[in-house]
Amino acid sequence: MSLSRIARHPRAGLLGCIHQQLFLNPSSLPGGADTRPMSRVPYRRPGEPKDNRPPWKKIKFDFAKGVEGVGRQMMLLKKELLDPLVGPEGKPMLEHMLEQNRVVWEFRGPECLEQWSVSSDREIGGQSEAYLKLGRNDNTCLLYGSLNAAPPRDGETRYSGYCTLRSKQRLCSFDRKTHFDWTSFNTLHLRVRGDGRPWMINLAPENYFSHQKDDIYSYFLYTRGGPYWQDVKIPFSKFFLGHRGRIQDDQHHLWLDKINTIGFTLGDKVDGPFQLEIDFIGVCKDYAHTEEFAYEKYKRNPEV
Amino acid sequence: MKCARCLLRLQGLGSVVPSARTANRYAYLLQSTTAPVLTKPLVAFNSHGEASRHFHGSSAWAKSSPPSSDLKEKEKEIDKSLLSRDELFERVARNAKTKAAFDKAIEAFTKRDRRRRGHVEFIYAALQKMVEFGVERDLAVYNRLLDVFPKEVFVPRNFIQRMFNHYPRQQECAVQLLEQMENHGIMPNVDTKVLLVQIFGEKSHPMRKYQRLMYWFPRFKHVNPFPVPRLLPSDPVDLARLGLTRIANDLDAKVTVYQMPYTDITETGEEITLPHIVGTQSPDQVELLAKHDPSRPVFVEGPFPLWLRNVCVHYYVLRADPLPPGEKVEEPYDPERSLYYPLELSLELERDMGDLGDDFDVEDLDEGPVFAMCMTGQGDQATLNQWISGLQEANAVLGRVPTLFRLDAGPRELQSPAGESHRPHPPPETDPCVPGDEGGAGPARQEVDVTLEEEPQHSRGVKQ
Repeated sequence: MSLSRIARHPRAGLLGCIHQQLFLNPSSLPGGADTRPMSRVPYRRPGEPKDNRPPWKKIKFDFAKGVEGVGRQMMLLKKELLDPLVGPEGKPMLEHMLEQNRVVWEFRGPECLEQWSVSSDREIGGQSEAYLKLGRNDNTCLLYGSLNAAPPRDGETRYSGYCTLRSKQRLCSFDRKTHFDWTSFNTLHLRVRGDGRPWMINLAPENYFSHQKDDIYSYFLYTRGGPYWQDVKIPFSKFFLGHRGRIQDDQHHLWLDKINTIGFTLGDKVDGPFQLEIDFIGVCKDYAHTEEFAYEKYKRNPEV
Repeated sequence: MKCARCLLRLQGLGSVVPSARTANRYAYLLQSTTAPVLTKPLVAFNSHGEASRHFHGSSAWAKSSPPSSDLKEKEKEIDKSLLSRDELFERVARNAKTKAAFDKAIEAFTKRDRRRRGHVEFIYAALQKMVEFGVERDLAVYNRLLDVFPKEVFVPRNFIQRMFNHYPRQQECAVQLLEQMENHGIMPNVDTKVLLVQIFGEKSHPMRKYQRLMYWFPRFKHVNPFPVPRLLPSDPVDLARLGLTRIANDLDAKVTVYQMPYTDITETGEEITLPHIVGTQSPDQVELLAKHDPSRPVFVEGPFPLWLRNVCVHYYVLRADPLPPGEKVEEPYDPERSLYYPLELSLELERDMGDLGDDFDVEDLDEGPVFAMCMTGQGDQATLNQWISGLQEANAVLGRVPTLFRLDAGPRELQSPAGESHRPHPPPETDPCVPGDEGGAGPARQEVDVTLEEEPQHSRGVKQ
């Protein structure tokens, strides 16, 4: 066991940009956002008392919710059962095999925003704001707000100032987790329009061990600014592993078979308003790109 | 595995150590006043062993302090010495907050005490003051700060020390220093390495941190495809030029300065400040604008923000609405436009029966063409009018096209989330019609302020 494993639990975030991606309180959000999934332990601010309620008290029992839920789950179940009859993921086999590119997220209506959650450092006591809405013609998604890097005055937190947009966990019937399988692709393709600020793209894969649940693969997204759209292609081989904001020493390439979420984080330590407009997010196969991993993976000698 | 567990345990222990130190100090005092028996267990409490070598406690006190002195007085003295670390900088800063002053403070500290007592607190204080003194991006200063650590004291000398977290407080301090370097994007150099090896040894945590910086920094040094110079030009015209070439997204785009900023005093004594107007237009945009149907209006929209590192500039856009779907004409490529290679190929390439093509299956966003962009010091309609009239020299069609202004008051503020709060609407600009300055160029340009007709909220923010 190496030192680097230990370094996985630092006291505070280091690389300000890949701070923890947390979810904002539902009260402070305009429509379409919701709370954190149950599986995630909420961030507890220093000095805040612990929530000692038993778990059953946190569940909201509601008949109306149940009735509404049954219908939705049945639809999902039906889709889940019938899709394999056509082929993998509901597509004919041939189409699935020859697929060159796939649009994973696009923003063509208000219901698309429900797949995303916005958060900012409000949750840890900071003063940034982030909001999500549809763009001008209701066919793009606009993330806007303002960043404030002043750390909360709780005596412990050293860095603050991030805003993030994160897709929600994909769920199939009865709220079971499903994942995106992008093994036949090797490049992430986005069409964005920013205002010149650098962002970070975070991909969270599904992991087996619970101590890996905050593992995130990240890369940078630089925006040009200006009135033109920008097509960004990022090979998955460029993504590097980080854990709770720290780049890890033993790197590994991203396994694309179980991708849970994608996130966009802004944390460039510049106070002021920001905006990022996203047209779509897709994956594609770039035959010219053969690299497996852009960073060294060899076992070091001596091991650190 | 074993080593790791030990290290973890020691992390917890590290918090105990400082208190153990202070306990030691008091132990000395007590030793002089009361019973010598007390010292023995306390020295054993010093977790680092080698009590004689690392005992920074109080050789000075043992010499100078009268045995009758009170513990409380001593405490006051300690407080004072703690204060003075911050004070060192404040005293120096009275003249000027410069690098020289900062260096002077470091020098004063190193000269004051051969043992460098309290250097960890001093370094933490210095790290906090760095931004204030404007030296946060100076590698030499970081190296000087590292130099404050006493050399070879914290180097583990046997395997047990190496296994445990040797001098965790000092190592943590050095790691934080390196972290501050990282946050400001400064790459350490060989001097840093030599210093770290001298202070903490080859395999200490600060050394690891150094190695990580040296691994990742060069890797990400040039990843930005749209680099911004570290030092931005202070002249607004140069800044606008830089920003416009960045957003133009076309190497052929030409930046034109329509008006240099200057301040003039009229005969009546009034001071007139003329803002700068810098615009850009590429040949493609000129062509687009030439083809524009004169009966459809063009819009001047803005201001939109553009961030260049930590400076926000605002730009305005001359654009038109997208054509309605029925009126679109696909123009065939002119084969003579390029004599070197064909601009259009229509080959029947049936590669595979299920070849799905390389295009994403999304609708294209049609937001209308962009004809020109500009930056100006003052975003009112009169100034932008001047820009339009400047544009007319290259684009004669602008004389016949109605130009509408969709401007927001001043730099765009943060848009309030729809439906949450209704900010009072900023007063619309009151001169709806500025006389066209080019008389005779077709019908007089029609300028309508449409700020009011648009949605009352500033949700137009991003429609570009």
